[in-house]
Amino acid sequence: MGQDGKPSSAGAVTVAGVDALSQDLLAHALAGVDDPRDRKSCRLASRAFARAEAASRRSARPLRREALPRVLRAFPSLTSLDLSACAGLDDASLAAALSSTTGGTAELGLGVRRVSLARASGVGWRGLEAMVAVCPRLEAVDLSHCVAAGDREMAALASAAGLRELVMDKCLGVTDVGLAKVAVGCPGLERLSVKWCREISDIGIELLAKKCPNLRSVDISYLKVSNESLRSLSTLEKLEDIALVGCMFIDDDGLRMLCAGNSLQSIDVSRCHHVTSQGIASLIDSQRFIQKINAGDSLHEIESCFLSKLSTIGETLTVLRLDGLEIFASNLQAIGDSCKNLAEIGLSKCNGVTDDGIASLVVNCGYLRTIDVTCCHLLTNDALAAIAKNCRMVECLRLESCPFINEKGLERIATHCSHLKEIDLTDCRINDEAMQHLASCSELETLKLGLCSSISDKGLVYISSNCGKLVELDLYRCSAITDEGLAAVAQGCKKIRRLNLCYCTQITDAGFKHLSTLEELTNLEMRCLVRITGIGITSVAIGCASLIELDLKRCYSVDDAGLWALSRYSQNLRQLTISYCQVTGLGLCHLLGSLRSLQDLKMVHLSWVSIEGFEMSLRAACGRLKKLKLLGGLRSVLSPELLQTLQACGCRVRWVDKPLVYKG
Amino acid sequence: MASGTATNADPDQQTVRSNSVEQFYFPRPGQSLPGIPPFFGPPSSSLYLANDNEAKVGNQLEPNPSQSTDWDPQAIVSNLTFLEQKIKQVKDVVQSMSNRENQVASGSCEVAAKQQLITADLTSIIIQLITTAGSLLPSMKNPLSSNPAVRQLSNTLGSPMGFGMNANQRPSVDSKTDIPDIGKASGYEELINSLNTTQDERDELIKGPNPCGGEGSEPTPMEDHDVKESDDGDHEGENLPPGSYVVLQLEKEEILAPHTHFCLICGKGFKRDANLRMHMRGHGDEYKTAAALAKPTRDSGSDHAPVTRYSCPFVGCKRNKEHKKFQPLKTILCVKNHYKRSHCDKSYTCSRCNTKKFSVIADLKTHEKHCGRDKWLCSCGTTFSRKDKLFGHVALFQGHTPALPMDDVKVSEASEQQQGSEPMNEISRSMGCFPCSSSDGISNLDMKMADDVRGYYSPMSFDPCFGALDDFTRPGFDISEDPFSFLPSGCTSNNETSRVNKGSNVPPLGLWKWTETLSDFSH
Repeated sequence: MGQDGKPSSAGAVTVAGVDALSQDLLAHALAGVDDPRDRKSCRLASRAFARAEAASRRSARPLRREALPRVLRAFPSLTSLDLSACAGLDDASLAAALSSTTGGTAELGLGVRRVSLARASGVGWRGLEAMVAVCPRLEAVDLSHCVAAGDREMAALASAAGLRELVMDKCLGVTDVGLAKVAVGCPGLERLSVKWCREISDIGIELLAKKCPNLRSVDISYLKVSNESLRSLSTLEKLEDIALVGCMFIDDDGLRMLCAGNSLQSIDVSRCHHVTSQGIASLIDSQRFIQKINAGDSLHEIESCFLSKLSTIGETLTVLRLDGLEIFASNLQAIGDSCKNLAEIGLSKCNGVTDDGIASLVVNCGYLRTIDVTCCHLLTNDALAAIAKNCRMVECLRLESCPFINEKGLERIATHCSHLKEIDLTDCRINDEAMQHLASCSELETLKLGLCSSISDKGLVYISSNCGKLVELDLYRCSAITDEGLAAVAQGCKKIRRLNLCYCTQITDAGFKHLSTLEELTNLEMRCLVRITGIGITSVAIGCASLIELDLKRCYSVDDAGLWALSRYSQNLRQLTISYCQVTGLGLCHLLGSLRSLQDLKMVHLSWVSIEGFEMSLRAACGRLKKLKLLGGLRSVLSPELLQTLQACGCRVRWVDKPLVYKG
Repeated sequence: MASGTATNADPDQQTVRSNSVEQFYFPRPGQSLPGIPPFFGPPSSSLYLANDNEAKVGNQLEPNPSQSTDWDPQAIVSNLTFLEQKIKQVKDVVQSMSNRENQVASGSCEVAAKQQLITADLTSIIIQLITTAGSLLPSMKNPLSSNPAVRQLSNTLGSPMGFGMNANQRPSVDSKTDIPDIGKASGYEELINSLNTTQDERDELIKGPNPCGGEGSEPTPMEDHDVKESDDGDHEGENLPPGSYVVLQLEKEEILAPHTHFCLICGKGFKRDANLRMHMRGHGDEYKTAAALAKPTRDSGSDHAPVTRYSCPFVGCKRNKEHKKFQPLKTILCVKNHYKRSHCDKSYTCSRCNTKKFSVIADLKTHEKHCGRDKWLCSCGTTFSRKDKLFGHVALFQGHTPALPMDDVKVSEASEQQQGSEPMNEISRSMGCFPCSSSDGISNLDMKMADDVRGYYSPMSFDPCFGALDDFTRPGFDISEDPFSFLPSGCTSNNETSRVNKGSNVPPLGLWKWTETLSDFSH
């Protein structure tokens, strides 16, 4: 900053050099910088960069509502605005920010095309009306999980005539009327998701199909709709992607109706209990270009009619998920014979999957990248050997709860599949030796080792020695891990963002001292780390500034000192669990008063906090909180005005009643 | 008297009566139309014939008719005393009868005579009671006898006695031989005489058969249409070839007559034959036999009777036989409904929306069930009672969208400020969004009560005592029929109609809501 304000002689040369370049070139250069932290460095290094970025920046994700007007003013060419993490956003602040940018007149308008308001529960129809009024070029809106949104909100959105994408998952108040508003107002819709909008019926879907002929992707999962809806949707000539997850009233007849077009590329009928192999077979019969089929938990058994039809789409089919079915070796062989281009196979929780079956599948499917065999209890090292031999491109292996695989099988995988990025070994009986082999997969990004209690610090040392790209590490209940293992991880895997240390009870404050060097850490779960005190929390809070989610449940030694550190340093913290911690009302007040991004707070059994402490602290955070978990007994004790205000701000309170039990 | 009326019952009449009573005065093909309908003089006199008769009867049995019309405590006291005595007399006679009934074999003429006597006495008691009560109430003085409640009362109260006294003691008795015996002794005969003489003298309207004879003893050999037929007049699918049926055309007056079945004794009209038969029991034992009470069955004579179809008297109507594409109407009821719907004023206005008008009261009732419940509203202002209909409409028209139900919330707030001074409005709001929904699926009785709650009635215009009696007696006689539904709206004595008329003066609750909603859309 000092360099910017008063450039020193050495700096002036570089600044002058950058200044000499045109803004377009600088913007082009910036476009190559992916990491926002690096971009920030660039901005701070030179005003020219700052100007170039301001002029060229396309997307923004403000975390606090106070920043929103500034963001909108600073980046005039913004096209994508993500407000899903914006704390305290409500109708008034959204409308004010938008109108202040455009000078209160809608003629100027913003160039914003995409807006995400997911989980922005404080925003209602007034805010949406204001947004639509000042963003005439709006194309995509995400309102998912705004549970309070209803027909009014949809009516407000319907005035955005150019809308092409709309996601309204779990907008519980939306009925057929709201859907009709959108369908009539936005005839150009191409992608629509009404998942979990349980009030929408066949009538609304029928109107949607009539009014929006350009729809390509429709998600009607978990709706109480019948085959009639599929009949209506089958009139959409451009329909490519349809999701019918958990539609209980849809059966094979409905799928047959869907056969009308020839454009379908992806269908998801998982959890449709009345869909059978024959329905999918008849669908495949007419839709020759299907690429993705998800039939998990729907078919009762795989019938030959389905398998024989698979060959007709063998060239195009890339994703096949058959979770939860009874699948034998012969079925897998038939699939392998038909679908040579398969890139992803899902066999999670399938009974009857054996080594032979996997071997006969993979022998023909050399392009498999994702293999999900979660809970296929019969698999052994032979299956891994077959995968390693045939699928050299594999990137994701989910082997959770395959108890018979061990280091020998993983050795084959590690030596042959150098592209492996993700491996899930939760609940597999593997040891440090397996870690030694896996360490050769230098591309590894996600490693899940939950419940592998035989893995010790030694294994972590192996991993950290070569897997520098690791982003997610799950050590849930790896109770042999100590501070030294953490030290190795912190040393070798600097990119880690998500770390799960729950119930690794040997970890102390010293281990957290090492963790504090992980600057990119965003999610930290540390349940029941009873030896961690405020000192450990403080070091993490200071070191890991990007922390977004922190779970401190049952960290009995954490006290107010930890909360003070969090309130002082973890300004990005959005989700926090402090149940069972030994904190007082003072610390809580301070925490809630300071953390401006905090939206989700779980605080059950804070027995040291008085009623006044709860009352005061909740008042301090009232406008920002969206989810709150409290002990049921507090319901009658907290003041009704407070609860009313919380509700008015779009905050949902979950009241739990469970006895106070200390587990160690 | 008996012989005089018997002459009227010419052979032709037997065939007439053998049909359902519609056909009684809507003649068979062979008969000439003008001569037949004896009950239809000028509509003004014929419509309220029964009431006139009733009044006459009441006056004749009344000891001091002139006094009873004025407010005179003396007269009332004397009336009440008279009533007491009369009731005691009747009680004695009934008691003596109940003692003797155990011994007397069936077929005794004396018992029948006694029963006639009792019935007559009871009738006079009731009329006396009504007259007395009427003199107490100024509003009841003049229209006393025309009040249908009174008529009902006098007719109905006879029937429980009939049930109590006589089950099937007597086989079917030839009334012609029976009646003269009774006539000499009973006061009831007096009543009948007076009734007949007044009719003959003044109106010459009842030229029917012997009032006591024949009606019950001969089972009428045709099915009666009125119970089975729906209002639906369309039988397009029938396609009878022309000439294969006989076309009848009724005159306007016949079509608009409120009743089609008339008591030949007292002249009271009924819409249903079954109700007339129930009524007839009050006129004597001979009407209480199983044969008399039985539903007239299909006779052999009707088998080869030609198929009958009806023509609308309105020239130029498609249902008129002169029309090129004449489409006949199948039943009398079809004729009635068609004529009222197509060629009469729509005099029944919905009291809720104040816009919809009907000429058939049943249509009004059907509409009232749904009126104000059209909660599915389009942005163009059209309302629908069903969501799928609204969505079909929206799908059809470019730019139309369903209106949000939330608009109503704003509307009710607005109307509160505008019309808050009216107490009616307050009540309506307290009753919720659809204040008139109480009538849905509930009988008239409930609807009336709901109206009372809302203050549609002033207590002066409608006596609660008679209303209660009316409601009480209704189940006895008119089981499935509203006795007032066919009376024209001009008849102010009619409870039902007066309700409708009064209702039309009051702003209907449903309309406020919808007009407000529309205005909300316009801006």
